Amino acid sequence: MSYFVRKLGFYLVALWAALTLNFLIPRLMPGNPVDVLLAKLQQRGGIVDAATRRSYELLLGGGTDEPIWVQYGNYLVNLAKGDLGIAVSVFPTPVSEVIGQALPWTIALVGIATILSFILGVGLGAIVGWKPGTWLDSLVPATTLLAAVPYFWLALILVLIISSTWQLLPGMGGYDVVLSPGWNTEFILSAIEYGTLPALTIVLSSIGGWLLGMRNMMVSTLSEDYILTAQAKGLRNSRILGGYAARNAALPSIAGFAISLGFVVSGSIITEQVFSYPGIGSKLLQAVQNSDYALMQGIFLVITLAVLGANLLVDLLYGIIDPRTRARS
Amino acid sequence: MFRNVSAKRKGAAFVATAAAAVLLMTGCSASGSGSSGGSGSGSASDTLVAYTGQAGDYQINFNPYSPSTIGGPGEIFEPLFYYNQLQSGDPKPLLGTEFSWNEDGTVLSVTLRDGVKWSDGEDFTADDVAFSLNLLKENPAVNAIGFDGEVAVVDPTHVTITFPAPAFVNGPSILGRTWIVPEHLWKDIDPATDVVAEPVGTGPFVLGEFKAQAFRYDANPTYWDGEPELKHVRYVALSGNQAGADALAAGSIDWQTGPVPDMANVEKNYPGYKAVTVHMNQVALFTCSNAELGCEGPQTDPAVRQALYYAMDRDQINSLAFQDTAAEVSPGFALPERDAALLSDSLPEQTAPMSPDVDKATQILEAAGYAKGSDGIYAKDGVRLAMSVRVVTGWTDYITAVDLLAQQAKAVGIEITALQSSWNEWTEVRGLGEYQLLIDSVTQGPAADPYYMYNEFFSTANTGPVGQSVNPGFARFSDPEVDAALAALRTSNPTDVESRKPHYDIIQQKIAANLPYIPVLTGGTTSEYNAAKFSGWPTEEDLYAVPAVWSRPDSSQVFASLTPTGK
Repeated sequence: MSYFVRKLGFYLVALWAALTLNFLIPRLMPGNPVDVLLAKLQQRGGIVDAATRRSYELLLGGGTDEPIWVQYGNYLVNLAKGDLGIAVSVFPTPVSEVIGQALPWTIALVGIATILSFILGVGLGAIVGWKPGTWLDSLVPATTLLAAVPYFWLALILVLIISSTWQLLPGMGGYDVVLSPGWNTEFILSAIEYGTLPALTIVLSSIGGWLLGMRNMMVSTLSEDYILTAQAKGLRNSRILGGYAARNAALPSIAGFAISLGFVVSGSIITEQVFSYPGIGSKLLQAVQNSDYALMQGIFLVITLAVLGANLLVDLLYGIIDPRTRARS
Repeated sequence: MFRNVSAKRKGAAFVATAAAAVLLMTGCSASGSGSSGGSGSGSASDTLVAYTGQAGDYQINFNPYSPSTIGGPGEIFEPLFYYNQLQSGDPKPLLGTEFSWNEDGTVLSVTLRDGVKWSDGEDFTADDVAFSLNLLKENPAVNAIGFDGEVAVVDPTHVTITFPAPAFVNGPSILGRTWIVPEHLWKDIDPATDVVAEPVGTGPFVLGEFKAQAFRYDANPTYWDGEPELKHVRYVALSGNQAGADALAAGSIDWQTGPVPDMANVEKNYPGYKAVTVHMNQVALFTCSNAELGCEGPQTDPAVRQALYYAMDRDQINSLAFQDTAAEVSPGFALPERDAALLSDSLPEQTAPMSPDVDKATQILEAAGYAKGSDGIYAKDGVRLAMSVRVVTGWTDYITAVDLLAQQAKAVGIEITALQSSWNEWTEVRGLGEYQLLIDSVTQGPAADPYYMYNEFFSTANTGPVGQSVNPGFARFSDPEVDAALAALRTSNPTDVESRKPHYDIIQQKIAANLPYIPVLTGGTTSEYNAAKFSGWPTEEDLYAVPAVWSRPDSSQVFASLTPTGK
């Protein structure tokens, strides 16, 4: 039991460190929200003078006269209460609401793409590894090439061909704007249609890693004695592939998959930028552009929690699956 | 042009070149998705699709007093009068029908329109006007115009406002930029933090439908001036500048403001569309000019600024950086067209020379004691005339302009180095005064009167020492004579042009001699609009409103004037 207590203790320390960094980093950035909003107003033909600045300072609480440790204390207390503050870039919407609106889009898009990529990559990797040295091996360089190509370039080429030239799928937005978001068939179908192309680009660019790892694990697993035993018993090849070889070879990939699920929450800024997708990545960009510290902190917090949570889960699972990790510690 | 350009270029400013390319190419997809989405969203002949440069989702906020409002001022919430920033003359009556000042400008009497109804059916009265003005006073956080008057309701169609000091110049912001809200709904809400998701106003439009990626205005059937002919306006969110240009090419948006490629041939490249350019904001090299307030660098010497002023090849900058959409600029900063009557005769020249005068520039430098070094750069007391100019990453026209300026300055023996930075950083150093030169534009006030621009950019009250964030007195200019002239202008009626002219003369002379903002050109704001689908747009001959889609309340004036042609 002490193993789990130690692990949990470690994660608490990691969480505190992450929260502290989360507090500090945005404050090291240039710009403050009052000036950024005023500059935006000026660009839109608004009238700005000393009175305008004063009112904005009052409104946004721009005056940070409090000492930094008081701010830090308030930050931790508010966090404990679940209050992430107000997002000044979309004043007066609370940060939690902004994140709440964006998160489902990102989780659905990047989550589904990651799961698809994992299943396809591991499945293909198992088949390729089953017959190393055949023509199937050419899948490895082909997919790693796709992974090596800069992501934004791959995405743009697909947009150009599939969306602009052939006009098969929409290349921009999260859904058809004439529809009202809600749980109705029409809207969900539209969301799926709009999500297909971004998901495709994510799958194409990440499948290579899974495939390569799985294929190599398969090759080494196939030389294990129990595979030979299984073959000697006269089991069907499909049974050996699925039940004996792939099952063992997939273990490291599954650990990697759990961790990559943690990163799903952070979304993909470039994907969302290329496709104007209404997810967490575009909100993060918006926060940075507007010196919106509260929103930045909120998003970082969600990402941190997701990654730490995924790691903790993997750690705990490993403790159960593999007694050796427990014994050594 | 610049304000909207830059707004849309922000995306590019923060993502690396790679991502700028991303935006560029995403635009290509707009033609695909635009046409498919357009079939449902924009093709109805009585729906105008407007694109303001909104990148990413809309967050609902129809509170006209909120800094992050997405709409409402003008279309839903009307001011008392409409002031056209482009044309001097009487403001257009909206909720008010006439107004008058007493002799010394301390009492403003306003007559209100009779028989106006809120869009929920209640009657509009003088109490609503008093409530709206008192709202500002009672909530300093929304009092962006600094209103400090006392409002008295005389009868249901008359109010008087009494000020502690002459307030002639506050008229346009009180009459033209104060959005009248219904007391019966607003008395219970916090005007600073409420998002007014169901706005009720008196304007020509009501909110039809809101979604994160688009929202729609519908014509107000009970509008006091009759239901507008334009039945629907849809605002859409796209991914940026290039996406806007491509949506325009696909015909899926009807109005946008911002440059497109090959601006001279909009009518040929976008069949059915036309472009209109207005010149409102002076592009200038802002300098941290005042050593007394803590500025450092060679640019604190007026002779250096004068030399830069004469070194510029404005024709070249206009054609290479601004596609010839910019216009001449006056060294005294009055707008050559709009403020023609106020242009001072005592200026060395009424508009800045369009071609460089190298002899004059070097003469000025040598007279000020500078000597040319072996590297061809002037120096005095061992200090070379080398300065950096701040420009925002991704603002391509300004970057081009700065590169040209560097070459042109080199010809007169001044070294200028462009320093690109993120928009946030640029905004911060601009406010704090921690820069030598930067390129930006000077903006106008709520009415067609240069007083506002002078007061905002050139008065001591709107600036401060280096290290204290100010807006917009970025150049740290401070001159007692200019302050005195501005104070005198505050106490005289804006309609009394003759008595005001001498004060404007003083201000222009002082500015032209000091050049805290070195004028480059008057920037053009270009909008592209669908002239085949709607008629009644503002044109260069008839600028009844600022023709920029993001300009409030001007956009509501345009919408109310449009008629669908049925195509």
